[in-house]
Amino acid sequence: MPPNWLELMPSAVRAILASLPESVAGTLEEIRIRENRPLEIGYGGRYGFVGPGGEVTGDHRSAYKPDREQCRALLERVTNHSLYAVEEELRRGYVTVAGGHRIGLAGRTAVEAGAVRHIRDVAGFNIRIARARVGCAAAVLPRLLDPAARTIKHTLIVSPPQHGKTTLLRDMARAISSGEWQHPQAAGWGGRKVGIVDERSEIAACERGVPTFDLGPRTDVLDACPKAEGIMMLIRSMSPEVVVVDEIGRSEDAYALREALHAGVRVLATAHASDLRDVFMRPVLSELAREGVFGAYVLLARSGDKVAHRVYSGREAEEELRRSGSRSGASPRDAPPEAERADAGHAGASGGWIRAAGPARPRPSIRSPAGAEAAGREGGYA
Amino acid sequence: MLKLVGAALVLFAGTMLGFLQAARFAERPRQIRHLLHALQRMETEIGYGQTPLPDALERISALMPPPLAGLFAGTAARLRSGSGLTVRECWESSLQEGWPATAMRAGEKDALMRLGASLGGSGREDQLKHMRLAALQLQAEEAAAREDQERYEKLCRNLGVLGAALVVILMV
Repeated sequence: MPPNWLELMPSAVRAILASLPESVAGTLEEIRIRENRPLEIGYGGRYGFVGPGGEVTGDHRSAYKPDREQCRALLERVTNHSLYAVEEELRRGYVTVAGGHRIGLAGRTAVEAGAVRHIRDVAGFNIRIARARVGCAAAVLPRLLDPAARTIKHTLIVSPPQHGKTTLLRDMARAISSGEWQHPQAAGWGGRKVGIVDERSEIAACERGVPTFDLGPRTDVLDACPKAEGIMMLIRSMSPEVVVVDEIGRSEDAYALREALHAGVRVLATAHASDLRDVFMRPVLSELAREGVFGAYVLLARSGDKVAHRVYSGREAEEELRRSGSRSGASPRDAPPEAERADAGHAGASGGWIRAAGPARPRPSIRSPAGAEAAGREGGYA
Repeated sequence: MLKLVGAALVLFAGTMLGFLQAARFAERPRQIRHLLHALQRMETEIGYGQTPLPDALERISALMPPPLAGLFAGTAARLRSGSGLTVRECWESSLQEGWPATAMRAGEKDALMRLGASLGGSGREDQLKHMRLAALQLQAEEAAAREDQERYEKLCRNLGVLGAALVVILMV
């Protein structure tokens, strides 16, 4: 079956992409279409240009160049022939299409009163292909458990773009919701009620409100809703036990997260940052991090087709921060890993993992149907 | 006897021809009116509902009488087919295909073609403007069509009968 994103393509580009070698097509991550410029793809952590016959080359001069007509047709297809219905998305610079693929747009912006109103001449597209990797959370989830509360700690997943944050988040939501904790101690916990605020429609890829990805049996999705407002709405209306949000970073997000923390809800969030130092540098994130809001941090590092995780507890994160002095700035993702470049003798990091050392600070437990004995142990409330 | 049957046939055919032509004159303003309703409906779907174009067209086609419904349903089906055609191409080809079945003339077609070229391709405000412009053009056509109807509907009917009678007289 051809992948559904292929249908978006104008016919000439579609024919080229359909004839890509199997090994490339299977690991395709990005398709970059720029008007009158070479057709580029990102696959398996690498990039390449695509020739008129579907062959992948490193030479951009021999690559196929999509023309203006094709870009227009593509824009029409990604907006479902209805530019008027995606005005808000155009203002933000991306649209999400059926299947959860995010399409970033570049071109000339139309500005009104100092704010971007929409993108006028769209001449660059970045099609990011969404894939569900069922089971990729299995390695991470056991380290994020909070045995006392029988749920997960407040967790922040951190990585630069394109390292699989959303993919991991999606599978974590599925695992938490279906109770696949992958930990002997958590065998009888059962699933948790998960609420997802899916501002960009990427996590769930909802079609008419129904998720197209498997997110587990106990998951509610608020599709295309601003995060800050969505978190509050979910808490009020759907009584989630774990709230999942993508890409926090604005001050109103922080406000809503704090609100959620004190409403007895666990938060699972992602943020763009290359490492922990970045987290403590970004204005809003650092505020949250310094308050000790997050009980665990998951760092994703990627080389080629493999994604490695590192889990820090909140306390370890702060220690780690104090230890590392100068920062080197962000590096492209095909650069050698930080650990190899700078300090090879990183305590504990050489094995690829740092063990999470218990909860960062005591938190209220969450009531659950299967948790009667746990409630009893903690003083008993019903 | 045979002559009599022939004359009757000619008379019948001529009368029907006249009536058909008259019916077209009567039908044209009615169809333009329906189109105006369709445009109004589309304004709501686009302006307030922000319904994606294929859905909006399909909903409108469900409300229209047969020859017009085909125009909208055809465009929606082409957009959905995943062929990679643009709105303009889909709209034009379904107009070309369905137009002969309607009673409408070139003026209305022009207005619709112009609308098709901009449909879905801009922001909400702009879409509404285009639709209002098309509606204005259609209203002008409607007025002309009504005038034509008053002037020619009866004429056509009479002309059919009388023309047939003339042929019969000449034959005899």
